[in-house]
Amino acid sequence: MIQRLLPFLTLIVLFVALCFLSPYFLTETNLSSVVRQTAVINIMALGMTLVIISGGIDLSVGSILAMGGLFGAMAMQSGKPVLVGIAVGLLTGCFCGFVNGTLVTKLKINPFIVTLGTMGIFRGLTLLISNGLPVHQIPKEFSYLGEGRLLGVPFVLWLLVICALAVHIILEHTRLGRYAFAIGSNPDAAFYAGIPVNFHTVAVYSICGMLTGLAGMIEASRLMTGQPTAGQGYELQAIAAVVIGGGSLRGGEGTVLGTLVGAFIMGLLANGSDLLGISPYLQQAIIGAVIILAVTVDELRKRKLG
Amino acid sequence: MLLELRGLQKRFGGVQALKKGDLRVEAGEVHLLMGENGAGKSTMMKIVAGLQQKDGGDFLWQGQPVDFRNPAEAQQVGIAMVHQESLLAPHLSVAENIFLGREELLPFGFVNRPKMMALARRLIDEHKFPLQPEWRVDRLSPAGKQMVEICRAIQHGSSLLIFDEPTSSLSESETHQVFRIVRTLRERKVGVIYITHRLEELREVGDQVTILRDGETIHSEALRTLTTERMIQYMVGRPLSSIYRREPIPPGKPMLELKDLSTGPLLKNLNLTVHAGEIVGLGGLVGAGRTELCRAIFGIDSVDTGEIRVEGKHVRIRSPREAVEAGIALVPEDRQKTGLARALPIAANVVMANMESVSNLGFVSAAAVKQTTDKAINRLRIRCENGAQLAGRLSGGNQQKVVISKWVTRGAKVYLFDEPTRGIDVGAKVEVFEVMDDLARQGAAILMVSSELTELLQVADRIVVMRQGRFTGELPGRTTQEEIMHLAAIESSEKVS
Repeated sequence: MIQRLLPFLTLIVLFVALCFLSPYFLTETNLSSVVRQTAVINIMALGMTLVIISGGIDLSVGSILAMGGLFGAMAMQSGKPVLVGIAVGLLTGCFCGFVNGTLVTKLKINPFIVTLGTMGIFRGLTLLISNGLPVHQIPKEFSYLGEGRLLGVPFVLWLLVICALAVHIILEHTRLGRYAFAIGSNPDAAFYAGIPVNFHTVAVYSICGMLTGLAGMIEASRLMTGQPTAGQGYELQAIAAVVIGGGSLRGGEGTVLGTLVGAFIMGLLANGSDLLGISPYLQQAIIGAVIILAVTVDELRKRKLG
Repeated sequence: MLLELRGLQKRFGGVQALKKGDLRVEAGEVHLLMGENGAGKSTMMKIVAGLQQKDGGDFLWQGQPVDFRNPAEAQQVGIAMVHQESLLAPHLSVAENIFLGREELLPFGFVNRPKMMALARRLIDEHKFPLQPEWRVDRLSPAGKQMVEICRAIQHGSSLLIFDEPTSSLSESETHQVFRIVRTLRERKVGVIYITHRLEELREVGDQVTILRDGETIHSEALRTLTTERMIQYMVGRPLSSIYRREPIPPGKPMLELKDLSTGPLLKNLNLTVHAGEIVGLGGLVGAGRTELCRAIFGIDSVDTGEIRVEGKHVRIRSPREAVEAGIALVPEDRQKTGLARALPIAANVVMANMESVSNLGFVSAAAVKQTTDKAINRLRIRCENGAQLAGRLSGGNQQKVVISKWVTRGAKVYLFDEPTRGIDVGAKVEVFEVMDDLARQGAAILMVSSELTELLQVADRIVVMRQGRFTGELPGRTTQEEIMHLAAIESSEKVS
């Protein structure tokens, strides 16, 4: 039980330690910026949680984020209202996820390979369509999505809470979520039980894509540009958040709370290193070590039970 | 007529698993489907349950021709199957597995968990299973998993239930529980097909018997009028006097000795000696610890206390590498997963454990590989085009011979055979026995795990029985033809356990 709570305890210890180590940590400005920085990865990681639980993986989310952000920004640039722009971003992401899911199920190719391919395809198309140039002419109000406040709290935090609750409810209380667990846990059993495995796999990738599209719009809003090069390397951070939070790349395991904790651990490590003046080069190494440590502890726990 | 199959056919690659499958099942009837391993029983039932599609023949459901494309379509008309191998989602709860694919739903795709829990609890209580609906399935014993499978089938199968050897991992009292369920189903006018090759079971539950051999339906008759002797005749398809039986040779010096071996949570204080030229059978139920013992001897699982001796010398085995160096070979239970590199040619499998003999300064000699492979193919009579053929393309029996050839090529002192005949046909079975006999005659010691007592009696010099990680008894292997037959007829799980 203690080991199951370990990621959570780590987060608390990290938080308390940073309170003591840096006078700037426990300030509203700093905490808001942590939330804003983490929200993008966090929302992607929620979608990734679904995919990983179902036994898959999506390496293309970084590229989807850029494509969603770019298309949304282009829609707004062409004079469409902000909400329409955001919807375009979400739908773009959803469509990319649908493509991933369809390729995985129809071609019956390992999702690692499929999404490695679409990672290149989505990125390439994004660069091609934008000519490699960012989109700047975006209405001012759009910045509210990434930088605004509601009831004194960053708006993205509300979004994150809503998305997290939604994914949690999907996972724990809907047929789709339970099927995701069943498919990841034992695909043969799922098929033999008469579950429409392909349909639900596509649905899972589509939801992941849509959440990534939302993350893309938040990123675009924070930068106030549609960047075709945005989100590079984010896929690994999203996967790391899921894995630190107890998700298993073999499928069948993972929780929303775990993923949130995982993403915030990485967020606090980055923020703390900045505040304490630790080299950003060393930060990467620290986060890498934390990923390996987290998974090792989790494996030991499972072996003990096994 | 609930179900009628006429001349059903099914091929897998080069193997005709089902040539002429005929079967007629009425509602409210318990129909026993019998035959040796590889006779085509499971294949025929997988077609009925929608897991596989027929290549030819007629498949009639309540008089209408049908061809289910997937299990969901079969479930829709009320056909469900209890699988021999556990087909459950290990990370989900007992209740969720029972309702997998058939969840109780609220609007908008929400699952009604309280209702599923309550229904599952009622089902479990009704049949007095030692389960709780909220338990996670990966914590259950093989028997527990089997009970979950049974609960699931009862929940889904409203018209026809197929039991594929449901009792192979169950104790006697659990087995009787299954029989009680089968009788209840019969009273409810559900059709039941019960696959078994344990003769002792059938008198308790059956109405009608259909016997398959080598992919063909050989005979169908009411159980009342069918004598056990004729049943065996139909199953084996030849006079009983021609059943393979090993002629034992006088045992030599001790080759493998276990002294107070304990390991993991299961194995406790095991003592055993296997002599040169001897084949010792290891009997017992699934989950008794026989595979675990093989794994421990072969260094896959570490030994906690006690020692292993090979040719009288204490050996410390911490990995398969050290086991191989000590002269121990393992033909594992799960051939597909741990025995064979299916995507590699036969030759690569044959030399896998013995690269040193075919290479020089780290370079592998193609000529030496070919020579070694050809020798192995001849010696074990592996039926293939040549050594370059992919191992995964061979029939089950020939795949097994490739696995064995890996060790025969290297030459071991102690061979561990874990369920060596699983899923291979009758003819190939005998050839595997002959290879084992041959190895023993050349001075090796053989420990053979099998869940089929008949098979152990055919091959083993003596049979050690295992139960819950301990040796609980020993049966002589040298029995007469008549005794084998008699034991086969009353083959009782309790005798073995």
